[in-house]
Amino acid sequence: MSTTTGLGQTPYSVQVGIPAAVLKPKKVRRRLDLTLWEKLYVAEIVRGLVVTSKHFFINMIGFIFPPAGKKRKVFTVYYPEEKLELPPAYRGRPVLVADADGREKCVACGLCEKMCPAHAISIVAAEKAPGERYPERYTLDLGRCVYCGYCEEVCPKEAIVMSDEYQGLAQRDRNRLRFEKEQLLRPEGKVKTRLYFVRRIYSKWNY
Amino acid sequence: MLADVIESLAKIVFIFTVNVGVFAPILGWVERKQSAVMQDRIGANRADILGFTAIGLFHSLADALKLLTKEDFVPANANKFFHTLAPFIALVPAIAAFAIIPFGGRYELFGREINLVIADLDVGILYVFALAGLATYGTVLAGWSSRSNWSLLGGLRASAQMLSYEVAMGLSIIGVIIVYGSLRLTDIGAIQEDFFRWGIFLQPVGFIIYMTCAIAENKRIPFDIPEAESELVAGYFTEYSGMKFVMFWMAEFLEMVTISAIVTTLFFGAWHIPFVTDAMLLSWFQGAGPNGAAALAMLVNIVVFFAKVSFFIWLQMTIRWTLPRFRYDQVMRMCWKMLLPLSLINLSITGLVVLLL
Repeated sequence: MSTTTGLGQTPYSVQVGIPAAVLKPKKVRRRLDLTLWEKLYVAEIVRGLVVTSKHFFINMIGFIFPPAGKKRKVFTVYYPEEKLELPPAYRGRPVLVADADGREKCVACGLCEKMCPAHAISIVAAEKAPGERYPERYTLDLGRCVYCGYCEEVCPKEAIVMSDEYQGLAQRDRNRLRFEKEQLLRPEGKVKTRLYFVRRIYSKWNY
Repeated sequence: MLADVIESLAKIVFIFTVNVGVFAPILGWVERKQSAVMQDRIGANRADILGFTAIGLFHSLADALKLLTKEDFVPANANKFFHTLAPFIALVPAIAAFAIIPFGGRYELFGREINLVIADLDVGILYVFALAGLATYGTVLAGWSSRSNWSLLGGLRASAQMLSYEVAMGLSIIGVIIVYGSLRLTDIGAIQEDFFRWGIFLQPVGFIIYMTCAIAENKRIPFDIPEAESELVAGYFTEYSGMKFVMFWMAEFLEMVTISAIVTTLFFGAWHIPFVTDAMLLSWFQGAGPNGAAALAMLVNIVVFFAKVSFFIWLQMTIRWTLPRFRYDQVMRMCWKMLLPLSLINLSITGLVVLLL
């Protein structure tokens, strides 16, 4: 497991989801007819009330005396103040990866442009030295992008990845959703976890 | 004579303030907040005045302001008079039903006997049933006069449901009346000074039937087919907006308070603390002199009564946020095939036991 990019060797290892051993799924009763006990309703209603009031009292205690150092049991995120820590599998808007010099890694091969099902990408290629191509203009129309991630999958240079950015996409003017190369460039460190994730899921080990 | 008038006015103002001024707005907040806490959420907490949110209480204020300034809309071809009248008919019985509920006992204050009930009627509980029957007209009229199919269906369902459940509710209460031998709610409350004569011990089945029927009468969730959102938009008050909508909404909450108060009075010892008799309570506060002791005992009893009422409001809210809605045929089957025979059996057994003892 070696990479030619200078990203260091920390492999991506974050557990995703709850392991099956913890969940212990309960057996589901498939019978559709109610038994006499259930037809009497009262006991079953009390059982339901016990479940909900257990949640109620546990949460009330948690609200009144918040447990020190522990995260609250309530899942609500106060959005503008708090933000979710997104998993690397999250496909936000695509960004271009910059190398150490701050220049795009993209070689303007045009694969992403070809692959894009929504025709959101358009590239104007140019040569900076003989045989060395670079995108003179790289336009990504986020009004068209469907966040499928094909561009990232097909890119041979890890030059375009799906970031965890999801804000700034509410515009009154569609022209403002057309992002140019300069707006899309992100330093490599910012998209590191996604790069590791992409290498793992698409088996991109040896580029 | 003047003192009587002042006393009555004071009691009316107190009950009106507690019901319309405290319970009605707070219950809107409680409903949101309690459902949130039960479902591991946080609930409404954004409305603030100068950065002070008061755990979301200002949402009630914001709601009230919004609904009061909204357009008062009457559909074309609707019967404008009845459309306007219906919310009043729904709301007034909900407030008026509290008149016969004793929220405290009798006290000797400055040589006057104060009885903490607005109208100490002989027929007591029958008055509540009469008003509950009147409240049906509000919903039916609202459904009919809106000239909307959803409203009409909601009104039809409401009338069928409320009429059906009235029967089982009345029969469940008759057991209590047989046991206590009085229709007067102050008498029933006074008898329950003895903890082991609380209605819940004497009439447990009656309590379950009454609670079920009362929630059905109030058209809250397990029985909310008259306003079923997924079927009828909002049922009988689909075509209401602004102030009239608030009145239906308030009527629902106030009925909830009334139900809790009746349950407390009939089954859970009214204003009494378990194992504490009135004489004991007075002797605890002896240091404050006879008048002071009576006033303190009165205060304690009122607090105890409203604490019990709050608990039953909480219970109704929990039921509302726990159970799914019954189907229409299930509601009817439950009433006529389960609750009605059960209440009849309960009634005959109660009568037999009372006769033999």
